[in-house]
Amino acid sequence: MSTSASHAADHHGHDHHHQESFISKYVFSMDHKMISKQFLITGIIMGVIGMGMSLLFRLQLAWPDEQFGILEMLLGKWAVDGKLDPNFYMGLVTSHGTIMVFYVLTAGLSGTFSNLLIPLQIGARDMASPFMNMLSYWFFFLSSVVLLVSVGVETGPASAGWTVYPPLSALEKAMPGSGLGMTLWLVAIALFIISALLGGMNYIATVLNQRTKGMSMNRMPLTIWAFLFTAVLGLLSFPVLLGASLFLIFDRSFGTSFYLSDIYLEGIGALENVGGSPVLYQHLFWFLGHPEVYIILMPALGITSEVISTNARKPIFGYTAMIISLMGISILSFIVWGHHMFITGMNPFLGSVFMILTLIIAVPSAVKAFNYLTTLWRGNLRFTPAMLFSIGLVSFFISGGLTGIYLGNAAMDIQLHDSYFVVAHFHLVMGSAAIFGMFAGIYHWFPRMYGRMMNNTLGYFHFWLTFISAYLVFFPMHFMGLAGVPRRYYQFTLMEDFSVWADVNKLITVSAIVGGFAQLLFLYNFFVSIFRGKKADQNPWLSNTLEWTSPMDVRLHGNWPGELPTVYRGPHEYSRPDRELDYFPQNEPDETAPEVFEPAVVTEAPKAEEVPAENSVFFAAIKRVFGLSR
Amino acid sequence: MMLTLPKKSFNLLNKKLLSLLMACMATVMSFAQAASDVIQPPQEFDPSSWNWMNILICALILLITLVIARAFDIGGLAEKITGKKIVNPHKINAIVGIVVLILGFVGVWYEMKYHGKFLLLSNSASEHGAELDSMFMWTFGFTFVVFILTEFLLFYFMIRYYYREDRKADYFFHNNKLEIVWTIVPAIVLTFLVLRGFNVWTKITQTPNDKAEEVEIFAYQFGWKARYAGEDKKLGENSFVMISGTNPLGLAVEDEADKLKATLQTEIDEIKAKLASANDSTVVWRAALNKMESTGLSNTYVSEYKALREKVLDAESGAYVRQMEKEKKRKETNIKRVDLFKSKQEIFNKAAYDDRVTTEIVLIKNKPYMFRFRARDVIHSAYMPEFRAQMNCVPGMSTVFPFTPIKTTVEARKAKGNDKFDYYLYCNKICGAAHYNMKIKITVVGSEAEYQTWLAAQAKVVAPPVEAAPATPASDSTAVLPAVAVN
Ligand code: HEM
Ligand SMILES: [Cu+2]
Ligand SMILES: [Cu+2]
Repeated sequence: MSTSASHAADHHGHDHHHQESFISKYVFSMDHKMISKQFLITGIIMGVIGMGMSLLFRLQLAWPDEQFGILEMLLGKWAVDGKLDPNFYMGLVTSHGTIMVFYVLTAGLSGTFSNLLIPLQIGARDMASPFMNMLSYWFFFLSSVVLLVSVGVETGPASAGWTVYPPLSALEKAMPGSGLGMTLWLVAIALFIISALLGGMNYIATVLNQRTKGMSMNRMPLTIWAFLFTAVLGLLSFPVLLGASLFLIFDRSFGTSFYLSDIYLEGIGALENVGGSPVLYQHLFWFLGHPEVYIILMPALGITSEVISTNARKPIFGYTAMIISLMGISILSFIVWGHHMFITGMNPFLGSVFMILTLIIAVPSAVKAFNYLTTLWRGNLRFTPAMLFSIGLVSFFISGGLTGIYLGNAAMDIQLHDSYFVVAHFHLVMGSAAIFGMFAGIYHWFPRMYGRMMNNTLGYFHFWLTFISAYLVFFPMHFMGLAGVPRRYYQFTLMEDFSVWADVNKLITVSAIVGGFAQLLFLYNFFVSIFRGKKADQNPWLSNTLEWTSPMDVRLHGNWPGELPTVYRGPHEYSRPDRELDYFPQNEPDETAPEVFEPAVVTEAPKAEEVPAENSVFFAAIKRVFGLSR
Repeated sequence: MMLTLPKKSFNLLNKKLLSLLMACMATVMSFAQAASDVIQPPQEFDPSSWNWMNILICALILLITLVIARAFDIGGLAEKITGKKIVNPHKINAIVGIVVLILGFVGVWYEMKYHGKFLLLSNSASEHGAELDSMFMWTFGFTFVVFILTEFLLFYFMIRYYYREDRKADYFFHNNKLEIVWTIVPAIVLTFLVLRGFNVWTKITQTPNDKAEEVEIFAYQFGWKARYAGEDKKLGENSFVMISGTNPLGLAVEDEADKLKATLQTEIDEIKAKLASANDSTVVWRAALNKMESTGLSNTYVSEYKALREKVLDAESGAYVRQMEKEKKRKETNIKRVDLFKSKQEIFNKAAYDDRVTTEIVLIKNKPYMFRFRARDVIHSAYMPEFRAQMNCVPGMSTVFPFTPIKTTVEARKAKGNDKFDYYLYCNKICGAAHYNMKIKITVVGSEAEYQTWLAAQAKVVAPPVEAAPATPASDSTAVLPAVAVN
């Protein structure tokens, strides 16, 4: 507890009246609540961009022979005569995948909610190192900027797919996107990894060391468990990607051949590179890549666990089983990466091994799905938007997870690999499920962030439109994949066999546009509610966890005035038969059997600050959007 | 383009609607215009030409949704005032859930009916494919049951247990028996599937077959070539250092080696000359540049001016020389490598001379093949969905895939009721701009004789006396099998 305590003392100990400057409070803030909002807003912006990109290339797939004036307006030389350039199509797909996977669903999701919830739910004043936490955000910000810049460079963004396999990504002459765009991509990812590592170390240290009195590990909400495992995964796997990227940088700029061998390029002749292996890169990449999908998914699962339990007014079914499956998934996720490589020329025997390990990981995943269902069973289900999005997550997790059984089977993967079946699979199980977890988190903890409520009805419209359109977009892709339609194709008109899917492609694009439209409702709801939403009660969802005990109506770097709350029981005591109320907050002492604790280290409580009047509308708005609660 | 389509379902979704929806997105992303008539030539950034109608309609849709949302809220307010329940949002959502679930299942069923016949789940054109298809159906059986059951339960629970004030949830959080059951049952099912998959995978990839004929499939940006062994039944040696315009596959042919060396030497000499005069050239270019600037020509010929300036800057900074030297070194290395390659005498045993490089693949029904894959520049993937076969082509690495075709092209045409149908090998690993157009036709013929007729018409690598190397890449997609071969 020492770091946070001394930090709190630094800030508030000597000079209670000192006013933090705008910069130190809203820009380089070290308050975890503030940083979580920075992550969230950046994540939302990146999400809008990533989604916009997908709509652009979906237009191309649905109407390959039409000309869209709007494309030329937006993209200029990349869409001459309103028709997307094939190189830029690849660039869009690559940027879309990178943005969605890393920027929205890793940083945007995990960054936002780990930051917001870890201190608040375990009863800490802040992160173990608020300074590193701040750095983590600003590295992420820098990384986002570099990536966005890379989309605009003359030769186009990196275009070799979000996995950027060399030699395609290593040789500038192989495609225009492998020039400056790829360099910037690598820089962005390196910055991103630094951010992820800084954040991850902090999350782990905080969860292990800063829990308040009575918050033993087995009383932690499942969100915290999920964030903990996520951080461990990130810490162990991201450095490998950094290494892989570093080698790629060497190959690109310094004449090494880690990944290159025996290459002849039209117009250049034979290259000097010999002895490297492109497959090496794939091993390194997927050693991160597979854990990465769980880095994306686990926080969403953690959020879902809390939201479902709270809104079903029922303890989560199989708390221990949930933790064990998270742990099982975490460990196994490090030894299944080869399932992305069955047909890369890897030794087929290795393929067999990876197949077996992969199908083992399906078991803990299945356990989680069953546990969610049983939690709903005989509950008293309150359908808040957050609850609906959690249920949506369970639905996607099941439908997307089941197709993993096909793809994890090396024999079937011969046919399905890199087909649209894969696109359907990962968009459901990782894309949609995690996005829905993120929405659930936003709707559920919005009051905690802004002291106001979001509009429920708009939330319902947002949910149903998004849910239906997501299924309409991604489910039909299964059928295309089963018919052997390859992914990452700019158009299908040159392959007669695939022309029967033209209708389906149109359906998908129209659904995607409707889904994009639905997100406007969300954006409207989110931003208007920040200013206009109904004032939230202290504990609007009648929840048990500690974050709802920290005062909503004062700005407080340190979370609780006075002493930190003490925890007396686990987080899921809903609908206990022996109680009148259907919830039982963790910090409420039990009259019948009070627990006795050792006197804890007393940390000095911060003073609440007055909200200063603000004359500039601009600064007032910034403060509302990023400001501390209320 | 898609002429043969049943244009029935989505012709309502015309470009109007589309541009309208796009406009919704774009307005809010605040850099927007809906193209009113998408066929029009591209316009300048000119707000007066925007289709304000579309934007208006979008705004209207948004507004209506917001109004509906407000209406619900007012309902809630009315409830508060009157103290009576008018709507129970929990119930409404639960009902919507059930409706969506049913529509979803109907949708899947309809899609299967409409497009099911295009799925490659039966009638595999290769021997091992049947086993894959059967395994798919088993997996489908299991997962479909789980899918229906769990999705149904999810939505059923929604409607069965939605919030009512007078209810209280069960305080039920643990049941060992239940948990053990649903850990063990999936584990058993998965074990069954894994073992099956393991066997099939091993059988497909690791069964040696001496009788299999080797065919080399060569991938490059952006096309394919196939290489068949000649009378010696052996594919000759090759190396990427040998690749040249006249020897696209880099085969071990003595003449080609000499020719390549000579070309490289000429190029090196040219570079040397350029290097020797680099200083002089720099002065000359600089003078030309200065002149352009002083005479104002730089304003007339902007792009030429820019190019020249770049050249001068490169030359003056030494980048030009470095670039040249690098190129020279690469070419010298290449010559050394060719020498090294040539020095391995046994390689030039003329095994490659009678090979045939073709721009389409012809196979004989029921004959086992071993495809050997090479890539010239980046990773490609040889994807033959009708044969349930796929393998990556990796530069610097030799990969293989064995399979036996069991249906001729003609039989497949009959079965599909499409007399234009052909088998294709597609590229299935992102490899650059024309990745989407990288395919080669596969024809399966019924008899050895047909195959021999076709093969005889293909040129040998070193054909006595002068005949040139195979066709250029451009002809790839248009190549057709001589009529005799199909049938
Ligand atoms: C707005 C909804 C979305 C639509 C319409 C959409 C659509 C698509 C499409 C059509 C592709 C190209 C498939 C191909 O040709 O290979 C793609 C690629 C991809 N998408 Fe999405 N997507 C959406 C959201 C997401 C989300 C939420 C994620 C987060 C995981 C995501 C991750 C990816 C990835 C990783 C790729 C692969 C990029 C690559 O091939 O390198 N997408 N998406
Ligand atoms: Cu994986
Ligand atoms: Cu290719």
